[in-house]
Amino acid sequence: MTEIDPNISAKGYVRPEVLVSTQWVADHLNDPSIRLVESNEDILLYDQGHIPGAIQIDWMSDLNDQLRRDYLDSARFAELMARSGISNQTTVVFYGDKNNWWACYAFWVFQLFGHTNARIMDGGRKKWIDEGRPLTREKPSYPRAEYVAPERDDSTYRAFRDQVMAHSAARLPLIDVRSPKEFSGELLHMEAYPQEGALRGGHIPGAKNVPWATAANEDGTFKSAAELRAIYEEQLGLKPEQEIVTYCRIGERSSHTWFVLHYLLGYPKVRNYDGSWTEWGNLVGAPIERP
Amino acid sequence: MDKQFYIENLLDHYENPRNRYKMEDASVSITGGNPGCGDLVTIYLKVDSDERVIAASFEGEGCTISQAAASMLTEMLIGKTLSEVREMNIDAFIDEIGREVVITRPKCATLAINTAKAAERKYRAEHAPQG
Repeated sequence: MTEIDPNISAKGYVRPEVLVSTQWVADHLNDPSIRLVESNEDILLYDQGHIPGAIQIDWMSDLNDQLRRDYLDSARFAELMARSGISNQTTVVFYGDKNNWWACYAFWVFQLFGHTNARIMDGGRKKWIDEGRPLTREKPSYPRAEYVAPERDDSTYRAFRDQVMAHSAARLPLIDVRSPKEFSGELLHMEAYPQEGALRGGHIPGAKNVPWATAANEDGTFKSAAELRAIYEEQLGLKPEQEIVTYCRIGERSSHTWFVLHYLLGYPKVRNYDGSWTEWGNLVGAPIERP
Repeated sequence: MDKQFYIENLLDHYENPRNRYKMEDASVSITGGNPGCGDLVTIYLKVDSDERVIAASFEGEGCTISQAAASMLTEMLIGKTLSEVREMNIDAFIDEIGREVVITRPKCATLAINTAKAAERKYRAEHAPQG
């Protein structure tokens, strides 16, 4: 699928093909080449009503390895795709709660497996509902699909702690997308998430703080390219060709900013550090900065 | 009972919450979670002279699981003594509300019961023998 949604092209993005509007989704509800995937933080929102035909993929129970801290391997990703009726040719359109925070995270994990035929529905679940569009509680069932997954490629979009250590030492751009209180070290975890805290507070030396939701409008849609450039280039001083690492607490909020920088602004070298503060803030001997 | 049964039960409690009101004459109340962000639950307990819960209610906001679990908990609290509230087993509570559904969101699932246990401790502290 290469068509560009006209509602999205008007926003001036470098890679507009990665976004579709709610209207575009409404127009493609019966398109068998498309699979709608809802990914939420609130795992029971899907059961309260979802876009007709959508399946749910949960970041924790579906995409994470259930033993060690990592993602699925290629065999299990292929199985997840096959039982979800997703083939290598299927266009996957993600949407979810909280400005598509978790949808972007799922999208990012899919990119580790090279499923480039993926989109985000701009505005997510909230915009669909606010526009009065239909929801259903009926859970769809799709025929099992054939899916061949390559080995997971972490080298392009994923950063690991030693790489981040070198990145920080070289004073390359690091974007900390957590809240200002987490960045300053006042909070050891995001408010209301004490089980995902760290022993030390602060941020990775050299990091600049731009909370992830800065890139979103009130209605959950992404800001226009001009607005995003004002934030990340004019205010923060990023340059498109730089190597950039984003991080947060476990790499979910920062996948939203990764999506913005890599696709919407077209920066070629952006990686997401999913170890993030829950790794760095617990890492013996790791340098920490506190403003 | 299958997973769908527990999902439907949680949704029923979320959409039709039981005992969701501010109890003006509570013997003790306490808020768990973090105001202004995320899941928030306030538990109200009214106890009689035998320290038995004769009314329990909650207020709150947050995700489906946290609010549904609070509703279900209030039904379980009524009739228990405060000692029984203290002894409530968190694992058993998770089983009761649907382990398979809530296991990936343990903080949300246990916010209400942990808040109720905090309410019991607060009541004890406020009613400790003087001298």
